[in-house]
Amino acid sequence: MKGRLAFAGAGVLLLSMIGRPGETTNEGTICPLPAGPGFEARLHALELENGCLEMDQDAAPDSWPPGWDKATIAGGDVAPIRVVSDPYPTLHSVVVDAERNLVFMSDPNRHALWSYDRLAASKAKEMVEPRTGIRGPATGMMFIAAVTIDRERQEIYSVDNDIGDRMMVFPYDGNGNIKPKRVLEVPHQSWGLSISQERDEVAVSVESPREIVVYRRGAEGHDQPLRTIRGPNTGIGDPHGVFLDGQNNEIVVANHGNQGGRAAPPGDAPGRQRGVRPTEPRPVQGGRFDEPSLTVYKADAHGDVAPIRTIQGSRTGLNWPMAIDVDRTRNEIAVANNGDSSIRIFRRTDSGNVAPVRIIKGPRTGIVGPMGVAYDLKNEELWVANYGDHTALVFPIAATGNVAPKRILRNAPAGSPTVGFGNPGAVAYDSKRDEILVPN
Amino acid sequence: MHGIVYDPIHDEIVVPVALGGAILTLPGDAAGDAPPKRILQGPKTGIVQPDTVFVDLEHDELIVESGDDAVLVFPRTAEGDVPPSRRIGGPNSGVSNIYGLATGNNCIVVANRVDGPARASDDAILVFDRLGNGDPKPRTKIAGPHTGIIKIRQVFVDEERGLIFATIKNNFEAYNVNDARPSPWDPNKTGFIGVWGIDDNGDVPPRGVIKGPATGLVWPAGVAINPKHHEVYAIDSVSNALFMFKMPEFFVKLPTVSAGGR
Repeated sequence: MKGRLAFAGAGVLLLSMIGRPGETTNEGTICPLPAGPGFEARLHALELENGCLEMDQDAAPDSWPPGWDKATIAGGDVAPIRVVSDPYPTLHSVVVDAERNLVFMSDPNRHALWSYDRLAASKAKEMVEPRTGIRGPATGMMFIAAVTIDRERQEIYSVDNDIGDRMMVFPYDGNGNIKPKRVLEVPHQSWGLSISQERDEVAVSVESPREIVVYRRGAEGHDQPLRTIRGPNTGIGDPHGVFLDGQNNEIVVANHGNQGGRAAPPGDAPGRQRGVRPTEPRPVQGGRFDEPSLTVYKADAHGDVAPIRTIQGSRTGLNWPMAIDVDRTRNEIAVANNGDSSIRIFRRTDSGNVAPVRIIKGPRTGIVGPMGVAYDLKNEELWVANYGDHTALVFPIAATGNVAPKRILRNAPAGSPTVGFGNPGAVAYDSKRDEILVPN
Repeated sequence: MHGIVYDPIHDEIVVPVALGGAILTLPGDAAGDAPPKRILQGPKTGIVQPDTVFVDLEHDELIVESGDDAVLVFPRTAEGDVPPSRRIGGPNSGVSNIYGLATGNNCIVVANRVDGPARASDDAILVFDRLGNGDPKPRTKIAGPHTGIIKIRQVFVDEERGLIFATIKNNFEAYNVNDARPSPWDPNKTGFIGVWGIDDNGDVPPRGVIKGPATGLVWPAGVAINPKHHEVYAIDSVSNALFMFKMPEFFVKLPTVSAGGR
């Protein structure tokens, strides 16, 4: 099944965004405002410190719409009786700078970028404090997805996915509510990022238009992409992970396989920006669920080009492939395979319906709904960012099977539930089971 | 996915898959990697990029947003590549970006967005006769400054009390790189839940609201109700949180209002 449902049963996952769980009554758990030294209180303090909860002095004060003051309106400014929310960061993507012993992770739950010391780890159930956290209104970060780094220029890149349509660049040592060094307008539903220092370029994957756009490194503002890979021959379907390989002059793309109901425009003209209607809509072809795949293109490919290699089929085990990373010394591609909570390693040059050379999967691994994966070639380690758990895991680079990680980095005390909300857009009530349904 | 509906009669969950141009129907107890019972997808359906869906239990129909500025109506159990029974779209209808659908009182209720720059918009609740087809004018249109409707999302109809519940983001999405302050962080422009009568028309304030700093709502994107317990549920797309409100006053006859055009 391609759709995913997050079932949040009321009374089960009761964590408060605004306070610690408190008294349990017949109505559920009442969430008071934070008053203690718990993480939620510190999060609240961080929100205040970063200006997220402050009134904007330059903005007009919020006023209710005209006529409301004279109308009889029921309700008003009513506090919720219960709140389901995750006060802890949710880990999306991960990237390592082994030379500087730094690890960076993106967090779409709290709209933040966190950095950690590379060797930071939880000894037991405790969480690890991040080294830095970039978040707040000045950052421009909304529902962010991937994170990557420019090791040469010591810059951190992240991209807004379904809200925002921006790529933001921050300095390595950025911390708190800071403005980005640069902002680039990118197509709506951008997800993956990859920088090639060799080519001096940045590649971005974009879900709905099924395209890879490539910009010059350092692009900002309304700069247009250098080229775009898009069209029916590309085989790109709902792309997520992307790796721009300047050594082998290739681009590797992880595709979920979803094909929208309109034909993708062929060619490499800039993609449509949100809010701008196409003058000539593309023909309706009907939606389609293709099998997930890894597709590979020449690095300078553009337009409606066929991949030079495709890994796809039942033997691959690909299921919601998210981030990817490429080990060019061992010629391997690591895939965060979210759908079956595994990391799948493929030979870089393989093609067709091939099995991975290694799979890291099983209860001992601690891998739960991985979204991010990153190689640390210097220290021969493989990092995994769990979206389904508050952990990042570190494995030996050649790990295989159901093995325990070398280190665990927790961003919440062990056992803290992960709610998993990510830009949720609807809700329904199941009256038969007395449950609330939330799609992501 | 930006839509979901639960069908209590047939114990089914129906969701749109925007990126796959499909509507999936799942068992009510589906969990994990459960396969759908039915898939509605293909060129004949006219479904392009559906964001929202609803099930009309009284008339056994499936109401689908096409992703293409149209409302499509299918038999509830339609599957595969089949054409819709009816379609509402076109300039008279005013149907544009649809972010919510609901039915009740022989009507189809459409949360309609007409995006403009910054906070400008002609967002509306459009109410069509249930059997409308082609390019009909809406029976009623709730829109204008007195409504407070800016960036509307999911809607739900409480048929018993004749009320429309709507989520209003009351904000603009900062898609321009030059926007100094992205709106999700702007506490001066937070969203709300608004409640209107299904026969309301014009530029009229809501009969009920959940709005203000105590609510915790920033960008409410979805709403559902639990009449038995007098509860209203709101999902928030910026704070990634589900808020549950006890609102007994919404489950009795709501007041009429004097302002605006009602």
